[in-house]
Amino acid sequence: MTEYLIRRFLQSVLVLFLISLVAFGLIHAAPGGPTQMMMAPGISPETAKIQAHNMGLDKPLPAQYGIWLTNMLKGDLGHTFKNNKPVGDVLWPTVGNTIKLMSFAWVISLLIAIPWGIYNSTREYGLSDQTASFVSYVGFAMPAFWFGIILQVFFSLKLDWLPLSDMYDMDKQGNFLNLLFHLILPCSVLVLGMLAAYTKYARSSMLEVLEQDYIRTARAKGVPERKVIFRHALRNALIPVITIIGMDLPILVGGATLTESVFNWPGMGRLFVDMARQREYSVLMAITLITAVVVVAGNLIADILYKIVDPRVKLGGKGGRSA
Amino acid sequence: MSNTNMPTAPNAEPAKYPNSENTSLPPATKTKGPWMVLWSKFSRNPYAMTGLVVLLIFIIGSLSAKLITPFDPAHVDLMITNLKPGTDGHVLGTDEVGRDIFARLLYSGQVSLLIGFSVAAISVIIGSLVGAISGFFGGWIDTIFMRFVDVMSSIPTLFLNILVMAIFGTKISYMILMLAFTSWMSVARLVRGTYLQLREMQYVEAAKAIGVSKTGIIFRHLLRNATFPIIVNATLMVGGAILAESGLSYLGLGIQAPATSWGLMLSNSQEFMLIDPMQAVYPGLCIFIVVLAVNFIGDGIRDAMDPRQKQMKSRRRLDKWRKNYSKSEI
Repeated sequence: MTEYLIRRFLQSVLVLFLISLVAFGLIHAAPGGPTQMMMAPGISPETAKIQAHNMGLDKPLPAQYGIWLTNMLKGDLGHTFKNNKPVGDVLWPTVGNTIKLMSFAWVISLLIAIPWGIYNSTREYGLSDQTASFVSYVGFAMPAFWFGIILQVFFSLKLDWLPLSDMYDMDKQGNFLNLLFHLILPCSVLVLGMLAAYTKYARSSMLEVLEQDYIRTARAKGVPERKVIFRHALRNALIPVITIIGMDLPILVGGATLTESVFNWPGMGRLFVDMARQREYSVLMAITLITAVVVVAGNLIADILYKIVDPRVKLGGKGGRSA
Repeated sequence: MSNTNMPTAPNAEPAKYPNSENTSLPPATKTKGPWMVLWSKFSRNPYAMTGLVVLLIFIIGSLSAKLITPFDPAHVDLMITNLKPGTDGHVLGTDEVGRDIFARLLYSGQVSLLIGFSVAAISVIIGSLVGAISGFFGGWIDTIFMRFVDVMSSIPTLFLNILVMAIFGTKISYMILMLAFTSWMSVARLVRGTYLQLREMQYVEAAKAIGVSKTGIIFRHLLRNATFPIIVNATLMVGGAILAESGLSYLGLGIQAPATSWGLMLSNSQEFMLIDPMQAVYPGLCIFIVVLAVNFIGDGIRDAMDPRQKQMKSRRRLDKWRKNYSKSEI
């Protein structure tokens, strides 16, 4: 176990290192490099040179990468180019907002999806099961932001029940009820997307377990059906679900970008889009790296949980499931 | 998984099963090839066939856009802004700068479908290559390639796309390459899995023995075994690419005017939601229908090539049969 943990951890670090290389390389592969991107148009070549020197952009690329990486590791995310603010000041509040939105949507969708999936697995091809599969088709095929726009048109503009966008009303900053009120629409969008996947996972995972011999044994010795489902099957069925949820983190983070843009939610995804338009490359690299850390950590935790929950899983070989 | 208990039904019953076509048909003169088997199952799936027909309608409609509508999708005419549907031959009316909405929908279809299919094609090529090399050679090559796959799947795709589109500019060709570059990983994993499973098979050994080159084994003997799963994956990828394109265009980092795409139309429509909410409905509906159709087709192919799928249904019948007859018979 310890050996596995160490190996898996080192692998994650390696993956992160490669991601940082990709992010850094991409920015510097831009035509003209970051210098070109960041200088105001019409600046004289001399001033540009001095600016570049001040920001360390005239050093060779590997050196720049080294400086950037060590700063990152120290927790210094750099400064924005436009008004020289520390990136952290811009970034961390939006991360908090994204977490508020995502965790709310995530918990709700899990609370609905897992019981629903279990129910459907016991009544395969029933009405509820058909509905779930309809929902999942819709959820997979519908552009999330379009669903958001439709909800806005219907609930905010036509019926005027719910706020159109933003996190708080202008005069009610920080009010929790007001926040909940603003959460309803974006959360519905996110929940539909997640529900589609999670119900399917829970159902198929349950079905697979219900086919096992030990379930038949349990039934044969007269264990009541409720107990079979909840004690014998559910525990084993939840294992793959946990893993998939862990592996889903990139989709969670990336998927929120569009929803945040539609609802003008001041989150990390929207910040990323805004900063990409303004070419604030230090913010972009910081966000990419932070998300990558979250994703890799999520995968790692999912793997370890998998190992702890299910002693049958053999994690020899190369990198377990993901390799 | 194992349904060996399936044929335990009494002899009288199987003939009634509608999906046991092999027993009721006269012996075929010529054995069906795998493609024909696939098609015969596929064509009996109503969802998949509906999906296929709808997709064909969209493809034909958008390709013959010039014949269907006389209007130029990029033609701005401020005299005829926000016309109601049906006025002056504008089937769905005009938008805020007087462009014909129906024409824009048709021409957008060209862009979206082009992106969907080319992204799927390119990522299948990249994914098959990487997966094939990785799975066939194994060892350190495999390790390196699979770590790369890990890296690629750990970066949120949308972020990477936004980054690239913002840095390099928003050309369709960049977009296609970028979307392909961020979606080939599933194909690579799939092909690699097939190879790992099959490379020790005896026919591969036989091929090696008669002197087939490595490329020959990789592409002729092994890749074909992964054909159907790859097709399913590619079909689902078409839908994913169309969605991704619409998302990027919606954010203003994809297709740019005067070109048009469904995502771009949505992004324009949001500003004019109050005046004409229907403008937001049409393009989204198009995306939704096309992606749904593509997904139905993909699922149809998967069901058609999965022998388990048939058994699932017959097991249901078996349960029903047990309920009805078990008291007297068993």
